[in-house]
Amino acid sequence: MMDEFGVVDASNLDPNLKYEISNQLGGENIKRCFQCGTCVASCPIWEIDERFNPRKIIRMALLGMREEVLSSEFIWLCSKCYACYERCPQDVRITELMGAIASIAEREGEEGNIAIKSTKPIFDKAFINSIRKYGRNFEMETIIKGVLATKGIKGLLSYVSDGFTMLKKGKLGLRPERVKEMSQIGGIFKALEEK
Amino acid sequence: MNFAYYPGCYLHASAREYDISTMAVCKVLGIGLSELEDWNCCGALEASNTLTLSLSARNLVIAKKKGLDVLVPCSICFNNISRANSAIRGGGITKTMINEAIGESYQGEVEVRHLLDIIVNDIGLEKLSKEVKVPLEGLRSVPYYGCLTIRPSAILKFDDPDTPRSLDDLIKALGADCLPFKHKKDCCGGNLLMSSEEFSLKMTGDILSEAKELGADCVTVACPLCHAMLDYQQSKIESKYDIVIDLPILYFTQLIGLALGLGEKELGLDKNFVSTVKLRRK
Ligand code: SF4
Ligand code: SF4
Repeated sequence: MMDEFGVVDASNLDPNLKYEISNQLGGENIKRCFQCGTCVASCPIWEIDERFNPRKIIRMALLGMREEVLSSEFIWLCSKCYACYERCPQDVRITELMGAIASIAEREGEEGNIAIKSTKPIFDKAFINSIRKYGRNFEMETIIKGVLATKGIKGLLSYVSDGFTMLKKGKLGLRPERVKEMSQIGGIFKALEEK
Repeated sequence: MNFAYYPGCYLHASAREYDISTMAVCKVLGIGLSELEDWNCCGALEASNTLTLSLSARNLVIAKKKGLDVLVPCSICFNNISRANSAIRGGGITKTMINEAIGESYQGEVEVRHLLDIIVNDIGLEKLSKEVKVPLEGLRSVPYYGCLTIRPSAILKFDDPDTPRSLDDLIKALGADCLPFKHKKDCCGGNLLMSSEEFSLKMTGDILSEAKELGADCVTVACPLCHAMLDYQQSKIESKYDIVIDLPILYFTQLIGLALGLGEKELGLDKNFVSTVKLRRK
């Protein structure tokens, strides 16, 4: 959508994107952004790599640059540090806005509409599956499944010796802790998935 | 002073020493803890906004039925459960969404408190310093707040987001030296470990390097993710950047416990990755 000279092709813009985001929990205040850049100055990710810029991604979303925004690597690199949220003069609540955009991206990714350039959602899914199954995170299983899915068998092997140290220190359970009223946990997932 | 204790998943696993030292210190200080029955994961940093708030809110309902406020040592859980409470109190469609998801009509009756807040502001540092049996004289620590203990301040409320002081004041009250620390409220990058190990190790590396340069004996923290990054990942950072750090990372409860004269086992000091032996001999 953006050509090599950085010109935005207006015919490809999706004017509905901003409404889609503002209808998502956490994205409500996106239209309040007046592009002051305070969030950028607070962002530790921008400090490392200037390609990752919260003000810019908000502007792109407001313009309707759907593909660029939803397939952006930055939404998965937001550390959820709340530094921008704390300082934004317009209360855009950027940290949660990033989460709202990520939720839309994940959905679109699952439907094959966009390519997701991060392994973060794959790890997150392993974590969520643990909650779905037990109501709590079963660290051992989440790490094995999450690391295997994101870093492969070699990645997993690099965790083995640390895993033993953790076991020895009593910091890794061999069995999951389970919530008794799992029907309530199931109810939460069901209610949210029906939305 | 009685609370429903919400340990959260980390304190029952990789942050076991935080759980152990929390219970030991609360016992001495007269803070009554009964574990929140049948608690569930708050969603941590992995769940979506909607799932996080709903999962967190279920715990609030359990506390409400017990008639107790919730005490949370983990800053991730504290942040999530506080945000859920605040969203409910804010009313509107978010409140309806959460209540529909959990099948309740929760109105925000319960208070969510960080253990650090309770010790510094309810017990009070004056009372705490009277309980000190082994003043930590000569020990130099840097306070590391990170993110989720203090931000967003409009919701979490207990400390100043620009110049947080609770850990600073606590370290001093225990008789130790608190060194001025520029990185005290910077992000450790823990949430990026799975998306960019490079970024996250750099962020934590910067924090550790400053602490080292200052000549600190230890870093004092209040969050299991900060702890995992600074402590568990420390050896990875040392080999990646070819530097020596060798800096013990203590939960503030472990630091308090040392000053209260509690033992190694009672504080889980043998469970930290970077050896804490040096500190115990001080
Ligand atoms: S700080 Fe707020 S208003 Fe300013 S650019 Fe960032 S999001 Fe927009
Ligand atoms: S919350 Fe995300 S976007 Fe905001 S400053 Fe932190 S890393 Fe940057």
